[in-house]
Amino acid sequence: MSLFNSKKKWERDYGPYLILVLIWGLFCVFGLRLWYLQIYKGEFFAQKAKDNRLRKQSIYAPRGLIMDRKGKLLAINEPSYSLAIVREDCPEIDKTLLQVSKWTGVPFDELKANFERGRRRVKSFEPQIIIPNLSFEVLAKIEAYAPRWPGLKIMVRPRRKYLQGPVFAHVLGYVAQASEEELNKDSELALGDNIGKQGLEYVLEKRLRGKKGLKRMEVDAVGRSLHEEVLRPPQPGEDIHLSLDLELQKKVYELMEGRAGAVVVMEPDSGQILSLVSSPSYDNNKFVQGVSIEDWRKLIKNPLHPLQNRCIQSVYPPGSVFKLVVAACGLFEKKIDLEEKIYCSGAYRLGRRVFRCWKKHGHGRVDFTRSLVESCDVYYYKLGEELGVDRISSFAKKCGFGQLTGIDLPHEKRGLIPDRNWKLKRFKEPWQGGETLNMSIGQGYTLVTPLQVARFVSALVNGGKLYKPSLLSEESRAKAKALPFADDIRQKIIRAMIRTVEADHGTARGLRKDGIIIGAKTGTAQVVKLLSEYEEKEIEEIPYRFRDHAWMASFAKKGDRSYVVVAMVEHGGHGGSAAGPIVRAIFDFIFEQ
Amino acid sequence: MMFDRRLLQHINWSLLGLAFILFGAGVLNLYSASALRVEGGLTLTPFYMRQLVWGGAGFLVMLLIMIIDYRHLKSLSWYLYLLTIIFLLCVPIWGKTIYGAKRWLGLGFFNFQPSEMAKVCVLILGAKVLTKTEDVLGWRDLVKVMSVALLPAILIIKQPDLGSGLILILILGGMILYKGLKKRVFKTLLIMLPLLLPLAWNFLHDYQKERILTFLNPERDPLGSGYHIIQSQIAIGSGRFWGKGFLEGTQSQLRFLPEKHTDFAFAVFGEEWGFVGSIILLIFFCSFLYQIFLVSQEAKDKFGTYLVIGVFFYFFWQVLINMGMVLGLMPVVGIPLPFISYGGSASLVNFCLIGLVMNVSMRKFMFKSG
Repeated sequence: MSLFNSKKKWERDYGPYLILVLIWGLFCVFGLRLWYLQIYKGEFFAQKAKDNRLRKQSIYAPRGLIMDRKGKLLAINEPSYSLAIVREDCPEIDKTLLQVSKWTGVPFDELKANFERGRRRVKSFEPQIIIPNLSFEVLAKIEAYAPRWPGLKIMVRPRRKYLQGPVFAHVLGYVAQASEEELNKDSELALGDNIGKQGLEYVLEKRLRGKKGLKRMEVDAVGRSLHEEVLRPPQPGEDIHLSLDLELQKKVYELMEGRAGAVVVMEPDSGQILSLVSSPSYDNNKFVQGVSIEDWRKLIKNPLHPLQNRCIQSVYPPGSVFKLVVAACGLFEKKIDLEEKIYCSGAYRLGRRVFRCWKKHGHGRVDFTRSLVESCDVYYYKLGEELGVDRISSFAKKCGFGQLTGIDLPHEKRGLIPDRNWKLKRFKEPWQGGETLNMSIGQGYTLVTPLQVARFVSALVNGGKLYKPSLLSEESRAKAKALPFADDIRQKIIRAMIRTVEADHGTARGLRKDGIIIGAKTGTAQVVKLLSEYEEKEIEEIPYRFRDHAWMASFAKKGDRSYVVVAMVEHGGHGGSAAGPIVRAIFDFIFEQ
Repeated sequence: MMFDRRLLQHINWSLLGLAFILFGAGVLNLYSASALRVEGGLTLTPFYMRQLVWGGAGFLVMLLIMIIDYRHLKSLSWYLYLLTIIFLLCVPIWGKTIYGAKRWLGLGFFNFQPSEMAKVCVLILGAKVLTKTEDVLGWRDLVKVMSVALLPAILIIKQPDLGSGLILILILGGMILYKGLKKRVFKTLLIMLPLLLPLAWNFLHDYQKERILTFLNPERDPLGSGYHIIQSQIAIGSGRFWGKGFLEGTQSQLRFLPEKHTDFAFAVFGEEWGFVGSIILLIFFCSFLYQIFLVSQEAKDKFGTYLVIGVFFYFFWQVLINMGMVLGLMPVVGIPLPFISYGGSASLVNFCLIGLVMNVSMRKFMFKSG
């Protein structure tokens, strides 16, 4: 292709070939690339295009409702509004977050950090929640402007509401945002989902949660939905009926207001719990929206520990209530002759130590029934000495102490029934005889929960069955352990408990009520060994934290209705005077209803 | 000058036909790209109408250019060049800012892009300078020819419009390569260019660096500049063999594809017409380029040859860079695809340049020696 009359050099002639090569190269490279994209990877990109256009989104399933035994609502769902961001639709994320920060007052850095943490979990075309639980003021502000910010979305989701707040807080617990760890464990959870964290909400999470639905939306590039189709409708969570009674629970909560302590009301024949109150309480609604640091600090720093469920998580020395167990043990081991009377001078000597009766000048001659009715310590010192720690300990365990009751609530405590081995392990010291004496009147190392006491008393009343205490109305009574002693022993103890109410010297005579059979045992548990300087003082003169815990374990029967009520008032002083009136008021309420 | 009737007999119909087919395909494609599927159905924005108007104007200008003998351009080239430089200098002062860049001069009824004019004038002056150099270029000639491109290129890159600026340099570079370099110069350049790259890197704007990095790894910024690359490949790839059909492209219709009527118009085409349509379009482009090449070989003087080779490279680079970018083989730079992308000034210039080629082609029999 020589074109011009010029020298023949290779540099000269290659021009036209260069052009031809360029044209062919262009064709081949792009032709191949088109083949690669459209034929070889065509399916792949076609799928991508579909995904691009069709987005799937979860539909939230409402959480199951929680009702009391009469069907009155305790936990419901109400709509809550969250602000979410769809990354793929949001061209300028920083700018958008900055705007969100202006609307909500949440610092930009915090928003950004949360956003970055969440972006690994949420696909770029799915809404990622950046601010949950918008208040109405903020919602109104955002709703007007959000459409101008591509990628921002206001999402409506059901949110838990506890209609009774603190009254049921310890039973229901609460739901709150799932943590990182919980999200990792459960693939059904999405960022920003609430799950049960405490109480029944936690234990019954599986039943309450339900199943999310799925919808498919065709969207345009800014995420606007063109049309939607429900692929799978959401399955609401199961509704739960509790055995608790709203009105009774409210009444008990009222009675306990201003005190620290616990009350358990139980149906002995079924093990169903009618009321479970731990005081002081807290508002569980605050946790649903994400508790503020300030509120959290208040709850944590409160010396009365309102978050603690005293019915199952606090352990106390049972005081004289424990005499019921020791008495049963004595009868079982045949160490007690019902007619035999023991002389109480107000003190009992063991070796060089002197153990005092709560009644300074003694009860005089005391038989079995009187020992319970008047709660004579000396009688039990003597009985304890004869039984020995091992017998008492193993017997108490069979009565359900030192074990979990198995109630449907998290973090239940076992309490403690000490024995020789335990002491050796714990203190590297052998068991002392005096410690058996202390144990016999429910002092020393022995620790129980109010629920354990209620279960034991129920078993005394119901014919000897230790039920798993139940909070749900549907629960079967199949699972029951038997008390380790025979019916005649049970009857003797029950009779003594009834005498405690009916006898003029009975420590629970304040409970007496016409037409109703009531039995009880009081207890006064020493918190610290009473300092000698307070020994003679009236209760009001003793500093609160040194005052004794007051117990009242009782049952009542009228016709075929029977109830067990256990009340424990921390630092209440004497069982009869501090816990008694509460139990009395509860019985009044129940039988007037 | 008398109008010679023989000129009409020598009109290069194949070139003209190919240009019209490409332009027609472009308008059709714009019709589809302008249609937005929204909740209410179809709404049309009149991009394709405007393109038609610009094309018509371009056609008239083309006819005008065909009439005047291209050899007159040789003497006019310096004036045209100077005019261009003046326009380019005006841009930063009176220019209109669109999409954050000052590239347009408002001329009352329409916006005019001096960088497009620069492409024409630079290649005319370049052709003229090349006729005066030795047959094989040494260093001195190389610098002489390249400096023609350099001043306008710098002014354009500052606008900022890296793509158009580079095109100027590439057009002249192509012309120089066609003419030939001394072996020694060629070898030295081959070694030097890679060394110059880091220097050029520092010269780039941040967003331009970002685009290049993103090209190397689109997942780096899937919502920013990587978004274009990913979405355009999805659009084209999902067209598969037969395509989704005219007006049926979901990716473009649902606006996943950005700038679909300008730089990414080919992606719309690829989605709707599939592999078959895309290959046919590619064949048309190659044939079009080949026709231009043929004209360059038939030209009766050096100036004509270089002029047409300049036009060849003008089209070649734009097709290469735009398609390369849309197909994900090159970084995203704002270069339109001739005839297919929407653009007023560009359409006008395309037809001007075809006019030039036709001009040369028509006159191949007019004189025997150059």
